[in-house]
Amino acid sequence: MFGWLAARPRSSTKGPLDADEAPLKSPVVAQVSRALSPQVRGSRTSSPFARSPARSATPAPLGTRDFSHLLRPEIFHQLSPLSIPPPFRNPAKQPTPETPISELLAQGQFRAAAIASVQALTSSPVSATIAAAHPPVDPADHARVFSLLYIRLACLCLIDSVPLAAQEAKALEDLNQVYYLDPVTGAHLMPWELRLLAIRLQTLGFGDPRRAIMSYYDMAREAHLQIAKSAKAHDHSELELWKRRLAELGVKVGGALVEMEDLAGAAAHMATLRDQGLDGKLATAKALLWLHLGDVDAACRCVRDGKGGDVGEKVVLALVDMANGEFDDGLKKWTGLKAELDERGIQDEMVGVNLAVCLLYLGRMQEGRQILEDLVDDGQSSRTLLFNLSTMYELCTDRAKALKARLADRVSNLEPTSHGWEKTNADFKL
Amino acid sequence: MSHQRYPSMDPVKEPHSVSLKVLRYSIIESPCHDKKMLSRPSLVTQHTLAAPSELQPAAADAAADHLVPASLAYRSTAGTNPDPFLLTPILNLPPSFGSAYVGETFSCTLCANQDIPPEPPATTQQSARAPAQKKSIREVKIEAEMKTPGSATVQKLLLGPSGGGSAPATQETGAAEGTGGIDLDAGQTLQKIVNFDLTEEGNHVLAVTVSYYEATETSGRTRTFRKLYQFVCKGSLIVRTKVGPLPYNNNAMTTEKGPDEQQQQQQKQQKRRWIMEAQLENCSEDTMQLERVVLNLETGLRYRDANWIVSESARPVLHPGEVEQVCFVVEEDGKGTPVVEDSDGRVVFGVLGIGWRTEMGNRGFLATGKLGARNTR
Repeated sequence: MFGWLAARPRSSTKGPLDADEAPLKSPVVAQVSRALSPQVRGSRTSSPFARSPARSATPAPLGTRDFSHLLRPEIFHQLSPLSIPPPFRNPAKQPTPETPISELLAQGQFRAAAIASVQALTSSPVSATIAAAHPPVDPADHARVFSLLYIRLACLCLIDSVPLAAQEAKALEDLNQVYYLDPVTGAHLMPWELRLLAIRLQTLGFGDPRRAIMSYYDMAREAHLQIAKSAKAHDHSELELWKRRLAELGVKVGGALVEMEDLAGAAAHMATLRDQGLDGKLATAKALLWLHLGDVDAACRCVRDGKGGDVGEKVVLALVDMANGEFDDGLKKWTGLKAELDERGIQDEMVGVNLAVCLLYLGRMQEGRQILEDLVDDGQSSRTLLFNLSTMYELCTDRAKALKARLADRVSNLEPTSHGWEKTNADFKL
Repeated sequence: MSHQRYPSMDPVKEPHSVSLKVLRYSIIESPCHDKKMLSRPSLVTQHTLAAPSELQPAAADAAADHLVPASLAYRSTAGTNPDPFLLTPILNLPPSFGSAYVGETFSCTLCANQDIPPEPPATTQQSARAPAQKKSIREVKIEAEMKTPGSATVQKLLLGPSGGGSAPATQETGAAEGTGGIDLDAGQTLQKIVNFDLTEEGNHVLAVTVSYYEATETSGRTRTFRKLYQFVCKGSLIVRTKVGPLPYNNNAMTTEKGPDEQQQQQQKQQKRRWIMEAQLENCSEDTMQLERVVLNLETGLRYRDANWIVSESARPVLHPGEVEQVCFVVEEDGKGTPVVEDSDGRVVFGVLGIGWRTEMGNRGFLATGKLGARNTR
């Protein structure tokens, strides 16, 4: 349970994922001792964290710990440009090799950023100017090593190369090994986000879905201890940070259970979560899970009485109509919602896409296609939008390939933003 | 589902002016909802990524979310995305042909498109030839038939909603649409939806015939082509039943009884009772949630449900390969109507109906054959 109950009747049953304003009696588990001797994992000693792992930019004294085993060139894969439609390969539209990584990320040039980060990691720049742009990393500079590794793995995920990322993440091996811990404070040297990502990728790489759940629980235990500690120290920003992290872990466990196809388990788990630090999104998340499972009544209950917010409730109810096969009612709801949001000057790609999908189910594909094309003209380019539009192209002509190629060309002319610019052939079903 | 173009029924060797495209939804139907339903598109998943630490703003708003926007499934300023959750409300059309299961309704959309290739730019070579005549395409019609494993003949299918219509497929509109064709301009599409209840396991063949009238300024001709789509229908649910006699119900009485009530008690004691158990095994590849399990009994019998509704528990979820056991108490209704017995003296109960739902509300429904109990009198 990730809940935040004011009064818990049976605190003795509190698990590692529980959070409570009141700290435990001896709240801190030392990561060092835990990793050194797994058999005393549950023991509670006091060895407070000096800093949160995410903030270890200036490392505690680490001696000359060497991370060069993570920088071996054979770990990293070549990225083929062949999976990219020709309009995106146009050299005039591609960034120059000297562009700094932060700029590449801001422009949504994730493939280029993935390549540049490996050049820095493996000290293999192809020219002096590139070496200046992506200076080789010092194997002892763990903060930069991990930052570059995170950029590499995250960018691979963003360009639809998750299998490659899963292979590369295997090189990190056991994420809880002592080598990754600060010898003085016991804090983890990796940024929090790298640990989260590495857990998911290793789960895929090693083909063991339960691994993710166990690891998220380990991290939740850590978050819980940090909450207790920052509450004691009256450090509010730390407290909020760790509360949010704990809440996110709870949601991630739910997602991992869905990916394991344990939908009943996911539903049971999600029911224990409280909407804390998630901006009221949890009601929608629960409703979507019930819809995924097929239980429309339960989905409705999740967002009823304003629990899902006004727009959230309308979205779920429109999806419920579609799930019930009442596409006419669904169409009315999507149309109404789109008009309402347009009037308020709010853009939501999902409402447009779902309206178009609804039209196809009513035998009005031509209108749906027009809506999707308008979204592309508005600068939207999510995978789902492109996939659905490409599917409609396939349905409406024998010469869909030409239409898809033209769509790829249009998308390649969109302004590069952090929403991502380059697309793959699969996005256009090419 | 594989498909093939039927060997030429059309003597003309020219390419057709109309193309046929098909997208299948796997879908399900249930008798309690008379309307036939298409299966649903699926919710898109996302794996949100935090922005790299070094790109995050200073620690002042460390508690706020800094996600890589490209890791979200879609863009919204309305806050509809439940990040960091895996599932999002944006819908993907079915990517390809999935499995078809007994109890579901097979469904697909058929698109006949006016697909005359655009005029290539005139070159000197081409202008020497006779200029191609402008064709107009009229009275485009789509017809569909289904060949099931158990029957020797094909079944003609009713096609659902009209291109511009908003009403769901009903038999009337389907039939009306079937008779007349519509004219298509360049790039236009006639879209139809097929619904077919799957009741048999095995190979099914969907045959689609497109016919149209191709008119030029000087002449015209009717052309036809046919495509076949083959798919395999699998079993979704295995049902095993067991019926056992229960002792007569004679201890449910209170102490103070008038003569009338005693007489009623006598009658009650005459009532035979049985317990009917059924094991429902999900043999499909999808997770299903049981929606309702009901007995449709013959005259003279009534039953009490002893399952999740009575115990007020959640509807059971069956992952692939899992089994749910359900139980009913069947008894004579005591209204004097004789129960139906077959030639062996076996009491015929009726049928067991099971309704379930799968991803995004897809419905399924199965009914067993006639169930019954040996005469225990």
